[in-house]
Amino acid sequence: MSDFSMLEYGFGILQALLIIILSPLIVGIMRKIKAKSQKRIGSGILQPYYDIMKLLKKDEVVSDQSSWIFRATPWINFVTTASAAFFIPVFLVYSPFGVIGDILLVVGLFALGRFFMMLAGLDVASSFGGLGSSREMMISVLVEPALFMTIFVIALFYGGTNISTIVSSANDTSILVVPGILFALIAFFIIMMAETGKLPFDNPSTHLELTMIHEAMVLEYSGKSLALMEWSHAIKQMILFTLFVDIFFPWNFVEQISLVGISFGIIAFIVKVSALASFTAFIETRVAKWRLFRVSDLIAMAISSSMIGVIFFFL
Amino acid sequence: MSENLFILYVIFAFFSLGATLGLFTRGQKYHACFTYIPSAFASFLTIILSVIIFSSEGIHLTFFNIQHLFDFEIFIDGVAAFFLLIIGLISFAVSIYSLSYSKKFDDKKNNSALGMLFNVFIISMILVVISNNVFFFLVFWELMSLTSFFLVIYEHENKNNLKSGLTYLVMTHLGTGFIFASFILMYTQTGSFSFDSFRDVAVIPQYVKDIAFVLAFVGFGTKAGMVPLHTWLPKAHPSAPSNVSALMSAVMLKIAIYGIVRYLFDFNAIDSSPDYVWLGMGIVVIGSISALVGILYALVENDIKRALAFSSIENVGIIFIGLGLSVVFAAFHLLSLSVLAFIASMFHTLNHSIFKGLLFMTAGSIHYSTHTKNIEDLGGLIKKMPWTAMMFLIGSIAIIGLPPLNGFIGEWLTLQSLLAVFQIPSNILQVTLAFALLAFALTIGLAGATFVRLFGITFLSKSRSSKVVNAVEVPRLMLIGKAILASSCILLGILPFIGINLIVSAFDLPYTPSSPFETISITNTVDGNFASLLMPGVLIIFISVLVGIFAFVRIIGGKTKTTKHGTWDCGFGNLSEKTQYTATSLAEPIRRIFGIFYKPYNDIDADFYAKENLYLKKSIHVISTTRNIFDEKLYGKVISGSLFVLDKIRKIQSGKVNAYILYIMITLIALLIFVGFGTHE
Amino acid sequence: MYDLILPTQIDLLHISAVILLIATFGIVVRRGFSDWLHAYRYQTIILSGIVALIALITGIWELYIVSALTLGIKAIIIPKVLFYVTKKLDSPIKLEMNPYVSLRISVIVSALLVAMSYFMALQLPISSDETISVFLPVSFSLFFIGLFIIISRRKALSQIVGLLTIENGLFLFAVVVTHGFSLIIEIGLMADILIGVVISSILLFRMSQTFDSIDIKNLESLRDD
Repeated sequence: MSDFSMLEYGFGILQALLIIILSPLIVGIMRKIKAKSQKRIGSGILQPYYDIMKLLKKDEVVSDQSSWIFRATPWINFVTTASAAFFIPVFLVYSPFGVIGDILLVVGLFALGRFFMMLAGLDVASSFGGLGSSREMMISVLVEPALFMTIFVIALFYGGTNISTIVSSANDTSILVVPGILFALIAFFIIMMAETGKLPFDNPSTHLELTMIHEAMVLEYSGKSLALMEWSHAIKQMILFTLFVDIFFPWNFVEQISLVGISFGIIAFIVKVSALASFTAFIETRVAKWRLFRVSDLIAMAISSSMIGVIFFFL
Repeated sequence: MSENLFILYVIFAFFSLGATLGLFTRGQKYHACFTYIPSAFASFLTIILSVIIFSSEGIHLTFFNIQHLFDFEIFIDGVAAFFLLIIGLISFAVSIYSLSYSKKFDDKKNNSALGMLFNVFIISMILVVISNNVFFFLVFWELMSLTSFFLVIYEHENKNNLKSGLTYLVMTHLGTGFIFASFILMYTQTGSFSFDSFRDVAVIPQYVKDIAFVLAFVGFGTKAGMVPLHTWLPKAHPSAPSNVSALMSAVMLKIAIYGIVRYLFDFNAIDSSPDYVWLGMGIVVIGSISALVGILYALVENDIKRALAFSSIENVGIIFIGLGLSVVFAAFHLLSLSVLAFIASMFHTLNHSIFKGLLFMTAGSIHYSTHTKNIEDLGGLIKKMPWTAMMFLIGSIAIIGLPPLNGFIGEWLTLQSLLAVFQIPSNILQVTLAFALLAFALTIGLAGATFVRLFGITFLSKSRSSKVVNAVEVPRLMLIGKAILASSCILLGILPFIGINLIVSAFDLPYTPSSPFETISITNTVDGNFASLLMPGVLIIFISVLVGIFAFVRIIGGKTKTTKHGTWDCGFGNLSEKTQYTATSLAEPIRRIFGIFYKPYNDIDADFYAKENLYLKKSIHVISTTRNIFDEKLYGKVISGSLFVLDKIRKIQSGKVNAYILYIMITLIALLIFVGFGTHE
Repeated sequence: MYDLILPTQIDLLHISAVILLIATFGIVVRRGFSDWLHAYRYQTIILSGIVALIALITGIWELYIVSALTLGIKAIIIPKVLFYVTKKLDSPIKLEMNPYVSLRISVIVSALLVAMSYFMALQLPISSDETISVFLPVSFSLFFIGLFIIISRRKALSQIVGLLTIENGLFLFAVVVTHGFSLIIEIGLMADILIGVVISSILLFRMSQTFDSIDIKNLESLRDD
């Protein structure tokens, strides 16, 4: 643990803060792209920031059926996702906190947040919450194996589940041309869409309960809690995007600390993630929300894709 | 060493004291105290004993001889001490819990038997673990099975309990038969009933050890609840009183694991040669199947204790996966990986005991307060029983394997072992183990869903029936019992080094632990860091983030009010408990997806006001069930086949005296001829 | 001790053995109750004669008493008891109607059993004693034929006769091999047999009253269905 100097720790914290702070920006970019492609002007890129600020100042209304779990979930959710951000390399090729946890820990933290969200959905004793929890349960049950298989492939190819190891070996070698990694890429993309609640899995801007999953669980929240929930959702999305970019498009990573390198790294990071966000938003506009049980087929495709990646590795 | 022996005597004395007092002080005011305080004290001493054994050498001595064949030997080495620790810890918590819980049975006539059987059960488990001799091992094993049988049918007014008990009795004796056969096989090779001779590597030819191990595996596996010999478990564990269920699920299953571990690593059933790959792979495959099957059934189960019993099957499967991987790695001389997988397996054993004991005790508390085990009748208990809810929450988080509790560490270690299979030099095995990883991942996801459902439906939202109205928090002693285990969960989660050091010193593994805040780290082939985990660090990050965001929110948002209001009801008003999600509906999407396994059956029967208008329904009646394919296909076929064969055999017993005498005559003539020929030569 | 055995005595032994066997066959081939009882009586008389002969040869005087007892109890009293019982029974059932093994085949089987007994006796390492070598196979034959009678007959009375035959065989075996148990034991055995027969006959009687027949198939049903 004492391999790293204080400066590096500082930069590590900076990486995490970048993720946390820039996440609403990415949400804004995606909304803008979707709006533009639907021939709307849409809200500004910075709108999510304004939303969060506004919500933080508002009073809350809490259901009288709910218990402390309802109140605690937004905090727990935020703490888990924000803590996960500490382990992700952003512009440095490693994260100084990589010793503390690896990608499995990140997955575990997400699961912890999701667990409490599902409980919160049930806590309010309404059908909406139960609906959201039930569907979220179904999707998470299917996504977990796909996620683990993809991690398996990545760990095999890149020599570890420590994210720093993954990113540094990805940085060193350009393995993108290996077919196994391509399969892992496809699988990871599908999983990413599922975990962040994008179409065709879930519509993040819907108001119909027919199409709600994540929205249904946070339906009852208001004020500060809602701000935290939305922000956590944005952070989770940012983490997944960052991981995607780190693993599959690892260019312009900084191996040593230098001011030029770091600024260049940060810019590269913003560019890459924004590009990915735009791409994702574009994909979203091309598809409609799928029927719930068709979604399982899509995730099954992700699982088989990663299995093929595994087999490619072993051959 | 004599102090160790002294402690052992004291333990034994106290359990016996508890048993006899339990038997004879029925109806007195402090009956529960007389029975359970000695057992709590003795359990605590067991923990101390195991800790002493960890730090010094073990006990190995012989007590007395019967005919020079049956020595009562005890042998407490690290392995036994580890399992003694498990027994002691869980028994300690459950004994304290039972101090209040047994008051539930105060009006039954035979509640003295409960106390006595409880104590005898625990002491028999301890004796099984420390026995070094086939004869006494089997005697105490049988004692353990019998006492648990009587405890299972304790509430015999319910006829279902009797049936479950009989199923349990038959299956456990089937298992004991296999174990017996295995031991006899070893005996014929070594000529001695002592386990010491079984440990002697050179004497026994390898193929004999293989057969003996397979027999023992089937026998112990039946007791541990591996698929397909698991059907007794979801019947027996819920039928017993909850403190006993906690013991059975948390401890007795582990005694079976103890047997397997002894065979594998102590009797040197395996060796570092690639011949044993099939053995390890078999264990992994059975473990994966058990894990999946167990959790799939747990997901759709509405009886809280049955769901927990199925979950035990799942966790035993996970333990088997770790054990099997350990064997496979050892077969390829990947010794450090083998150690890793073994630590993962044993850590999970310890974990499972703790959180399953906790969960069963909580289920018992729910039953104590609401007199029902059906989660469809419950709801909103978190307001009535806040502490119990907290305990169940901790147990659920632990069993799903979420950070920062102990379940996460166990699953992390198992996952790392599974991820490390790329070092095995065989493609087929690697792909098979990749499927095992898939099954394991699926299990983790399903476990999460199961416990969200169990906790959510039971404790959250509105109460679904009147049974909850009168629920109150359970007595303090029950809470203390649970709190002991809950805090162990938290402790082991944050400071996993405790668990790992215990395991390493118990099993004498070549791994050097160091400081308390040592990270668990694995290095890969290019000497980079494959993975590492430092739980206290995670905790520090948690706290700092929490502080940060709290400050941020307060600064930006200022002080805001929070008002309570009804749940949003879309303007319909009049939200009742019927509009909220039920347990069945929560699991319904998953049930549909896995329909091949569940074979769900839906029957919808609608009643109309008028035949002409099918949109206005008077009432709808829905029946929705799943079928248990194991009971039907496997056991049903086996049972009907046996009955068919037995019917045919019954013709021998015709009732005719002539026939019987004929049998005698034939036997006699045959014997005489046989002997005659024998002596003639 | 056995120097005194004269060739004539050996012949006597053989002849008596043969007659014993013929008497036994008499039980096997006959159908009627009274025929069996008569055959049994003859068998027992010859048996007691053999015992007396052995007593003569070996000079153990207790055997004379045993022989007398055999004569008295087994040849006279027991048949009398059984006759008494059969008189009480109805006449139509006094014949063995269709045994499991027909009479002709029974004879062949009995002959086979005798042959087998001789064969078995050859296997046994009993050496020089003449009495033993003559009578051992005979006692085996008696035993097996008695067993066979029990197996192949339907009527309860024949089962009793078979049992008595077995007992005769065993008695002969004991006498021949050990030259008589002590007297007390012999008396005890006799008393035992006597009581046994008395009880069996009472049961026979009750059976005939309950079932109107003494066919043992009435005793077969083990359950109510």
